[in-house]
Order: sequence, then structure tokens, then C-alpha cells
Amino acid sequence: MEEIEKLKNENEQLKRMNENKSDIISITTHQLRTSFSALKWILKMFIEGDVGNLTDEQNELIQKAYVSNERMLRLVNDLLILNHSEDISISYNFKKVDIIKLIEQIIFEFYGESVKKEIGLIFLKPEPEIQEINCDEEMTRVVLQNLIENSIKYSNKNGKVFVSVKEEDGFIKISVHDAGIGIKEEDKDNIFKKFFRAHNAIEKDIVGSGLGLFTTKNIVEKHNGKIWFENQKEGGTTFFVSLPIK
Amino acid sequence: MKKILIIEDDSFLQGLEAGKLEKEGYNVITASSGQEAMKKINEPDIDIILQDLVLPDFDGFEILKKIKETDKLKNVPVIVFSNLSEPKEVKQAKDLGATDFMVKSNFTLDELVQKIKSILK
Repeated sequence: MEEIEKLKNENEQLKRMNENKSDIISITTHQLRTSFSALKWILKMFIEGDVGNLTDEQNELIQKAYVSNERMLRLVNDLLILNHSEDISISYNFKKVDIIKLIEQIIFEFYGESVKKEIGLIFLKPEPEIQEINCDEEMTRVVLQNLIENSIKYSNKNGKVFVSVKEEDGFIKISVHDAGIGIKEEDKDNIFKKFFRAHNAIEKDIVGSGLGLFTTKNIVEKHNGKIWFENQKEGGTTFFVSLPIK
Repeated sequence: MKKILIIEDDSFLQGLEAGKLEKEGYNVITASSGQEAMKKINEPDIDIILQDLVLPDFDGFEILKKIKETDKLKNVPVIVFSNLSEPKEVKQAKDLGATDFMVKSNFTLDELVQKIKSILK
């Protein structure tokens, strides 16, 4: 009985510590975002010429400051998502979700960005339609957003990103294919590690925190699913996510 | 001239938002607290409200609820403009009648203006 009481107390203490951690992250990220928002807006005003013309040198420095600020914002956003996905006090809310509808919503969200970057974003809708799956809709949304965003980010101009989904042996298999920079052999084993950034992504100065794929894998595994990728012979990468239907 | 009420407690951000919207030709009124917001919502002819959620004196969701319960404002679009972004917070705002939920740090002021224009069209 004493042992059980001791375990109960320890459990309560851990829960409290976890809640405190979440509160600290929530407050800190909110405050950080407030400062970064102000910086983002002011730097953009300089870049757009709202406060007068800049010299070439000034413009170059301000652009670098803007990109650096975006990088910090990205890190804060990704930390928040990671915290949410790992928070043991937040149980995943599993329910029946129409995955086709969810993918269509996300494609719509990213349409503007893909047009801006001159990347074709195409959903290969399955025929016949597939059944609803049991998942946490918001966390599954994060998975799809991360993969599609990465594909657009790492694609070259005029490239195409294809998203497809099919039913297979009690699972749904989602694939997100791009013809972009690919993943180098030396990076393959590390691509899902926390804070890891592939060498070619760093070389291309593409903004990223190194948390996106780590968080994505975390969420997929909480669904008892799998995530993996293949480099394509003609260049680019296809990421696959397999999630149980029930 | 369309009228916008900005409810934002951070004076620096409020200044930047108001400055930009005035430059774009909007008639801007501001509130820096929930209490001030409750007074300003009585002003006539507000066309759209831009509302923060973290306010010094009131829960932003309570303010949103009160706005939507006010007869003359229930059809006025409210954009929640906050640096909170948990899915449950977004859902709560939308359930209370927010037209849109924009995370401040994800948008430039130009993009905010585009959103306001598209809602007011």
C-alpha cells in the first residue's frame, strides 16, 4: 500500500511538472512571437521602401536580418508543435476523419505559396474513394502540412509536388513526392533526428528548424503508423506515411 | 471610409497595425485593454474588428463572446490576431464566431491588409 501511495504521489508530481513545463513553453513562445512579429513587420517596411529608400548594402543587411528573424519564428513554431505532440497530459483525440477532405483542405492552404514559388501542387485523388480513418485530426494535419511544406520548400522552380493516398491491407498510405533537392546518402540515417538539418538544405540556405520531421515521426508513431522516404532516380524525394484505418 | 477597431494591448504592435491600416485608407480606432474595448465597441459604424486574445484585464475569448452577443456587432467580421495558436484556441475562437484566426508572427502587415480587404469585399 505504501508503495502504491508513493507511486501515486510521484505520478502527481510528474503531472504537475509537466503542466508547469507546458505553461512555461506557452508563455515564453507567446512573448518571443510578440517580439519577432514586431521585428518582422519593421524589417518588411524597410524592405518594401515604406520608410524611404535603402542603399544596396543596407538592403542586403536588412534582407539577411529578415531571413534570420524568419528562422527564429520557424523554430518557435516548431517547438510549440513538438511540445504539443509530446505533451503526455494532452491525450490524442482519436475520431473518424475523412482523409481526402483533410488533404484537400491542406492543398488549398498551400496553394498560394506554391503559386508564388511557381511549383505545381497536385493531389491525385483516389478512385474509388477510401474509407475514413481513426486518427487525431489536428496532429494528422500537422504531419501532412510538414510533408507538403517540405516538398514545396525543397523543390526547384517549375517543379511539381504530387500528393496521393490509397488503401492497403487495413492501412492508408499517403505519399508526398517532389522532384527537388533530394536527400544525400550521408544524411539518410539522421533525417528524422531532432534538430538535424540536411547538408544540401543548409547549403541552399533554406529556412528550417530541424524539428519538422522529428515531430512528424513522433506523431505518426503515436498513431501506430510508419514513415519512411525514398530518393527518386530522376531526383527528388517521396515521403510515405502509413496509418492504420482503425 | 471603412472603420476598423483594433483591440491590442502591446502599444508598439498596435502602433504598427494602426499606422499601416491608416495608410491604406481605413478609419482606425484602437483599444489597449478589454475594458477600453467594451467602451469602443459602442462607437457607430464599425466595419471590422481586429482582436488580440491576450489582454491585461480580460480573457480575450470573453471579449469576443461579448462582441458577438452585441446586437449591432454580431454580423461584423472579427479577425482574431494573436500569437496564440493551439488548435483548441483556434477552434474556440471560431466557435465563438471569429471570421478568421491569424497568428501575428506568420503574417506581414501587407498580408493582414489583403485579408481585411478580402473579408470586406
